Amino acid sequence: MYQDYAYLIVGLPILAFVLTIFLGWHLPKGGGFFTVLATFAGFILSFGIFREIYPNDEIVHQSMHWFANFNAGILIDPLAIVMLLMVTFVCTMIHTYALGYMEGDPGMARYFAEAGLFTAAMLGLVFSDNLLQLFIFWELVGLCSYLLIGFWYRKPSAASAAKKAFLVTRVGDVMFLAGIVLLYTNMVKLNLTLPDGAYLLQFQTIYDSLTLIPPDQLTWIAVLLFGGAVGKSGQFPLHVWLPDAMEGPTTVSAMIHAATMVTAGVYLVARMFPLFYAAPNALMVVAYVGAFTALFAATMGLVMFDIKRVLAYSTVSQLGYMMAGLGIGAAMGAFSVGVSMFHLIGHSFFKALLFLCAGSVIHAVGTNDLREMGGVLKHMKWTGLTMLAGSLTLAGFPYTTGFFSKDEIIVTAYEHGAMGFGWVPYIFAVVAALLTAIYTFRLWFLVFDGEARSDYHKHESPWIMLGPLVILAIFALFMGVGLNIVNVGGEGEDGGENPFYTYVGNNFDHFGVDFEELAVIGGHHVEHGAEVHEPPIIKYLPIIVGVGGILIAALFYSRWKRFDSGMVTSERDPLRHILLKRYYQNEIYTLWFAEKVIYGIALVSNMIDLKIIDGTVNKISAISVGFGGTLRKLQTGVIQNYLTAIVLGLAVLLILIELASLGVAI
Amino acid sequence: MIPLVLYVLLSSAMFTIGLYGLLTQRNGIKLMMCVEILLNSANINLVAFSAYLPNVNGQVFALFSIALAAAEAGVGFAILIVLYRLYGTIELDNINALRW
Repeated sequence: MYQDYAYLIVGLPILAFVLTIFLGWHLPKGGGFFTVLATFAGFILSFGIFREIYPNDEIVHQSMHWFANFNAGILIDPLAIVMLLMVTFVCTMIHTYALGYMEGDPGMARYFAEAGLFTAAMLGLVFSDNLLQLFIFWELVGLCSYLLIGFWYRKPSAASAAKKAFLVTRVGDVMFLAGIVLLYTNMVKLNLTLPDGAYLLQFQTIYDSLTLIPPDQLTWIAVLLFGGAVGKSGQFPLHVWLPDAMEGPTTVSAMIHAATMVTAGVYLVARMFPLFYAAPNALMVVAYVGAFTALFAATMGLVMFDIKRVLAYSTVSQLGYMMAGLGIGAAMGAFSVGVSMFHLIGHSFFKALLFLCAGSVIHAVGTNDLREMGGVLKHMKWTGLTMLAGSLTLAGFPYTTGFFSKDEIIVTAYEHGAMGFGWVPYIFAVVAALLTAIYTFRLWFLVFDGEARSDYHKHESPWIMLGPLVILAIFALFMGVGLNIVNVGGEGEDGGENPFYTYVGNNFDHFGVDFEELAVIGGHHVEHGAEVHEPPIIKYLPIIVGVGGILIAALFYSRWKRFDSGMVTSERDPLRHILLKRYYQNEIYTLWFAEKVIYGIALVSNMIDLKIIDGTVNKISAISVGFGGTLRKLQTGVIQNYLTAIVLGLAVLLILIELASLGVAI
Repeated sequence: MIPLVLYVLLSSAMFTIGLYGLLTQRNGIKLMMCVEILLNSANINLVAFSAYLPNVNGQVFALFSIALAAAEAGVGFAILIVLYRLYGTIELDNINALRW
């Protein structure tokens, strides 16, 4: 029943966008309740659809012809439904919180309109049934992120951050589009006879034709699509826009980092997983880039003093985990999609929670700088405790959601190494897990523990902001345990296998994807029976690094301080300098790359444009103008001239006729 | 009875005079007069042939043509008057605002 109204999941937020942008100015709170209600209705619908399709393991697929051989359609399979549930739920929380957070901002109506469109774009991206439609919503997400990051557009730093986000993700988008074009041309070459109602870029058609496309082409397509994901999901080297995206309101950061935007890239790779699996070396690229990003971002998170920047680097790092989780699918097959998506969902809950808590703190304290906070817990109990919940789960404290999801990625990364696919992702993931725990609790202790380091305002946030925090905290803490309890004694070798992994991991069975066959093409076929049994130390290592990291942070930054950060590093320590300078990224990207290389290219292009392209066009037009100017003289505008010509012509004609009648041969 | 050829010669002479005037003159009123001469040369032809053949159709057409010429002259002189008011001249060479 609910699935007949699936289109409303996107339709309602778009309606809310239209209503708020036109009527919001006249309504209390900028008409924000439209957006909240529309998103919540989307959640109800998604949940209804989930209840309908989960028991029988069905999928929803509706499609209609659009133009040429493209279609528009809705595809809700396990992969999409978990995303839909997460996006609608987390966005409902964030929008509710924003009702309190944005109170009094003159642009409130604009905020809620853009936020509604942002949500709609992300939902549309998730339930697209073909790559072209996905790309359109993908661009819409990019546009909305630009609008929202630059929400306070009068602030120069916000305007430039928005521009940066737009341009950097554009690099990825161009690659994504190139990947689509390459895939399309390859599929056209196959001359497929499509069954009725099937179209070229539909996921089903793509999955079906993977075995027919040449493997080297597949690798190119996969790498280009991954380029899109790198831009959107802030992977190295296109991660630079994410920390700057903090210039928007905190709720926007929460949306971008948790529910919408950045998860789109991971979702794209998950959605196209069979293609990556069939393409030789593609998943290796994904795994290595992901693992490197996880570690790289975590090191920068260690030294930041801006509360939102720490969280931003933590997002980059966690997205690296998700990518690595997908990448190690080379060894694990589609199971890794389940693992990675679980981390994505869990991460959405706790990252939204952490950002909203940070927003609550900033709202009250009035600064972003960790050095000016301290001892906030005394004044903001609820915010502090919910943020503690978020921090625990981000650090991977045992039996929180983050623990289950990250633990699973690290263990599968171990198996990836043990099966001979390379140890690098595993090593990076473990080190990054340790750093994650340290910087998360460094943040928490610096904000909430110790003595106040400046004279800030002290008040707890209103309940409309705290309510979402509490709900998100409950999910962040208990979702993993809950899912594991559901299936205790169920199927799966451990008895308590998380049903999420199998539900999402078996997503591609609905499309009849044969991973055995694809593995042969991709060149990572694994013999059956080559089960890896990880030693106990491997199983407990994530717990050890998680708890160990928290302890280290406590020893350095809490009231039980035993060490000072000056003991391990000094002002002149080059490593510390590099981290504080963020690996000279700004110098490399902006000063060197943008201002030297790109500016030089721009100058040359400009000259070619002016001299050659414009020059040619101008010459052609000058010739036409000159020619016309000469010919124009014929049209004197003096009637007598025309008349003379007519009379003369007539006379000549008459003479000719006369001559002809006299028998003269002309 | 006057032979037909004389009428035709008269008509041709008037036509040539009118055409010559039309081609050489630049004054608006002279041009109008030339046009009238052209029309009347045609009328003479019409009436002459009509009398020569026992058929009144030609004379009827000549009457139509005269009425037409009157109307045309009315419109033409009205335009000339407006032109004169605007430009202070009816030398058509000087009225060239729309020319290149």
